[in-house]
Amino acid sequence: MLKVITCFKWVIDEADVKVDASSRRLILDRVGYKISLYDRNAIEEAALLQEKHGASIVAVTVAPPTAKQCLKDALSRGADKACFVNDPSLVDLEPTQTAALLAAAIKGQGDFDLILCGEGSSDLYTQQVGPILAEKLGIPCGTYVNKLTVIEGEKRVIAERKLDDCVEIVSIQLPALVTVLPDINTPRIPTLKQVLAAGKKPVDNITLDKLESPSEPGLETTSILGATMERRRLKFGAEAENIRAAVGALLKEGVIT
Amino acid sequence: MHLELTEEQQLVRASVREFCEKYIEPLADAVDQEPCFPSENVKRLAEQDWLGIPYPEEYGGAGADYLTHIIAVEELSRACAATGSIVEANASLVGFPLFKFGTEEQRKKYLTPLCKGEMLGAFAWTEAGAATVAYGATTAVSEGNEYVLNGAKTFVLYAPVAGVFIVFAATDKSKGTEGLSAFIVPADTPGIKAGEQVKKMGLRGALTSELVLKDCRIPKENLLGQEGQGFTIATTTLDGCRIGIAAQALGIAEAALEESVRYSKERVQFDKPICTFQAIQWMLANMAIEVEVSRYLTYHAAWCYDQGLPYSKEAAMAKLMASQTAVRQTDTAVQIHGGIGTVKGQKVERLYRDAKITQIYEGTPDVMRMTIADSLLQ
Amino acid sequence: MDFELTQEQKTIRDTAAQFVKHELEPIAAELDQTKNREKLKGILKKLADLGFMGLNVDRKYGGTAAGTVAFSLAMTELGRACASTTVTTSVTNMVAEVIQVVGSEPLREKYIPSLCNGEFAAGGFALTEAGAGSDPAAMRMSAVLDGDHWVLNGQKLFISSAEFAGVFVVWAVSDKEARKGKGISCFLVEPSFPGLRIGKEEKKLGQLASPTNELICDNCLVPKENLLGVPNDGFRIAAAELAGGRIGIGSMSLGIGLAAMDFARDYVKEQARLDLPAFRRRGADRMLADNTTRLAGARFLLLRAAFLKDQKTFYAKEASMAKVYATEAANQACHDAMEILGDYGYTQDCPVERFYRDVRVTSIYEGTSEIQRLIIARELLR
Repeated sequence: MLKVITCFKWVIDEADVKVDASSRRLILDRVGYKISLYDRNAIEEAALLQEKHGASIVAVTVAPPTAKQCLKDALSRGADKACFVNDPSLVDLEPTQTAALLAAAIKGQGDFDLILCGEGSSDLYTQQVGPILAEKLGIPCGTYVNKLTVIEGEKRVIAERKLDDCVEIVSIQLPALVTVLPDINTPRIPTLKQVLAAGKKPVDNITLDKLESPSEPGLETTSILGATMERRRLKFGAEAENIRAAVGALLKEGVIT
Repeated sequence: MHLELTEEQQLVRASVREFCEKYIEPLADAVDQEPCFPSENVKRLAEQDWLGIPYPEEYGGAGADYLTHIIAVEELSRACAATGSIVEANASLVGFPLFKFGTEEQRKKYLTPLCKGEMLGAFAWTEAGAATVAYGATTAVSEGNEYVLNGAKTFVLYAPVAGVFIVFAATDKSKGTEGLSAFIVPADTPGIKAGEQVKKMGLRGALTSELVLKDCRIPKENLLGQEGQGFTIATTTLDGCRIGIAAQALGIAEAALEESVRYSKERVQFDKPICTFQAIQWMLANMAIEVEVSRYLTYHAAWCYDQGLPYSKEAAMAKLMASQTAVRQTDTAVQIHGGIGTVKGQKVERLYRDAKITQIYEGTPDVMRMTIADSLLQ
Repeated sequence: MDFELTQEQKTIRDTAAQFVKHELEPIAAELDQTKNREKLKGILKKLADLGFMGLNVDRKYGGTAAGTVAFSLAMTELGRACASTTVTTSVTNMVAEVIQVVGSEPLREKYIPSLCNGEFAAGGFALTEAGAGSDPAAMRMSAVLDGDHWVLNGQKLFISSAEFAGVFVVWAVSDKEARKGKGISCFLVEPSFPGLRIGKEEKKLGQLASPTNELICDNCLVPKENLLGVPNDGFRIAAAELAGGRIGIGSMSLGIGLAAMDFARDYVKEQARLDLPAFRRRGADRMLADNTTRLAGARFLLLRAAFLKDQKTFYAKEASMAKVYATEAANQACHDAMEILGDYGYTQDCPVERFYRDVRVTSIYEGTSEIQRLIIARELLR
């Protein structure tokens, strides 16, 4: 039976983020949270592998204790067990820090065959945690995967990597880490029984004292401002005169040169 | 005291919402306008375990509490009241009497397929001359090992698509309501036939028709409960259903509020979005307040049900408030939208029509008031 | 979702109900008609002894630390008997809470215990002015720092309990240059401070047992350290604390409405017992059912707002919803109760006459219904 680990991030629901009109500061005081979208694909892929080949699935996340609700969410989507690395300090981590904590937690879970991660998180989308985690664990890593086939009995997966201008098909020896694209599957909506069962599944609660403290951050975020799109709200007719005016306006704004 | 949904209930709400965005909203207009029965979605609802939420797993249910059912009905109705009504009617109107009054065999045979979505059920109560109290123009006569049913029922929700009916008929006309009995009648029984579909103002996807019974013979074991217990079965069932109708009304009112908030931010008049005008803000505030009041009355009634406390008055209060809110606030929503709010294809136009029936079926506001006043003056 | 009260909450509710039955109800009509202040103060002292003056205040300052839900339940029970007593209790609780939330440690230690233990008959909340009611940012009372003292000048209006309050929370403009609403500070003022004067008593429609006066600062000297919280941050404090106060006023109004309906219900029952069958058909049933439903809804909105406050999360919208709904439902209930009771309800022999007068102001003070709706809309449109 395959032993699959999926990593997920509990992120701010971007629909709840408001931007202060004058300062462009993000207003985050009443945001909701959710499992990062691509990570849902990773969990779904694990669930599909489980249906096809039989697999155990452990979902791992690194978050402050207030994110506890994410566990039942992940468990309702197919994981058999959750591993919750938590500490109030674990907010706004850099990819290296997250990957180091995940690596330490995963090492504590014993042997595994496959780690599935989303391609990037739906908040910061650095796309780094997967590859760094593979590096820390010393296992091969396949990124941008939109089709994954496990070759039974050979401890091997075939992964289709969707790159900018081509599709690359690679064979990866297990244990390995794969980051998935949203095209790989359509995450199912948890059924009621799955939701109810989630509360009864085991959770490994890992506090920081059981792990090494993460390294100091290398980056400092000095500010995050909302991107704004300015609209001029100009209307033009369809006469030659109006079209000249429209082109003039575009030139003036520097949209065309 | 903890006035917040549990983590599980919040997850259920989120999953129903996701489901609605994906499967229900896109169909809602067609369901209303054609009208059509969303049978594909019924299959999906069954796969999600939402058709028999409060019943034990041994009967195909999900084994959750009634409040979870209420939340699902509320959320589904937010997207499409007709779909919300399928879940509500199946579990409360038909599932409940089978679960509560049925024998083990009856439960296994009829409740299980209802919970699994293999068939839907219908509750045949109302008769042409009797809505609030069925007086028994439909009769059941005992003949050997069978009952023979004759008569006609009107406004039977889901009759055109139901696989099984709970039919109320007089076994002893001289006893009035005490002479009513309830029967389980499979739709393929000879002599039972759904009549012409009723063309309705709202909730059009919830297909409704007459039900004609002509020498319809059913075996004795299809009697639900005891002879003469029909009225008790009906009133007990309707008490619980009222919480479900309240949830449906609540979902409709919530949708009206959401549409109004969204539209009032977009719609510009006098060079400003109309939400900047106090008159509109007042309407929005009133909507929000009444939605909130309806929500907690409804959740409280469901909570009483789950705790095994009396809930008849609570259910009546929830339905009274929520249905009035739905009717009033869908009206306000159309008002905020202005002319466009009366155009087909606008969600508020549909909500406005869907809301009305929540004030009527399973007891009108004045029937609710009677229930409440009776319990106050006991 | 759990609607079951905790043991502590039940105890507080039941204690309040017992107090109402044995102490408050028997004298409520007299308090109203005679405006006997000494009797009122006696009642307030007893409530303080029972721990009702600091229900949501830490024990180390002499509070009960029972939480906002318990506070709401208590105000509803007291409201059933006497609105004048209840509003005084609610405001005193609010004053103690403001000091606890924004005051310095020495201020907390100096004032909160006296509010909670009844040494102060009441606390006063001085925000409103003649030109600054729904728009408190328009206030004109000024505060100028002069050496060790702030010098306050101006007039406050409609200040409950001004006649006997032991301490006032007073808002004044401390930075005239700042944008409207941005230069307001908040001070703790004792009645004995030089320059503070209690002005004329208002003649009111209801809540007659509770005095309402002008408060005049004529070069009133307030020690520098009696500034509450951060200078020029007063408006934010007022907005935050008023939300808590709204739960108190809403809960009290619910109590008045429930009492009116209970009275009407008993009357209808009695009429029914006397076998006057036509009576129930006259619409009394309808009114009983509608009002009972609205009041039940009001109860849940209040408890929900209180619960959120206890969870230390946002509750301003919910508090506004609860206040506007509860106070309007209570007004309707008193109106309908009088309708059911007929002429009898209009006489001073019947407590509903007093309830009817007492309930009217609840949808006005601590933020009118109109202002609540704007607050709610603002939150909806965020």
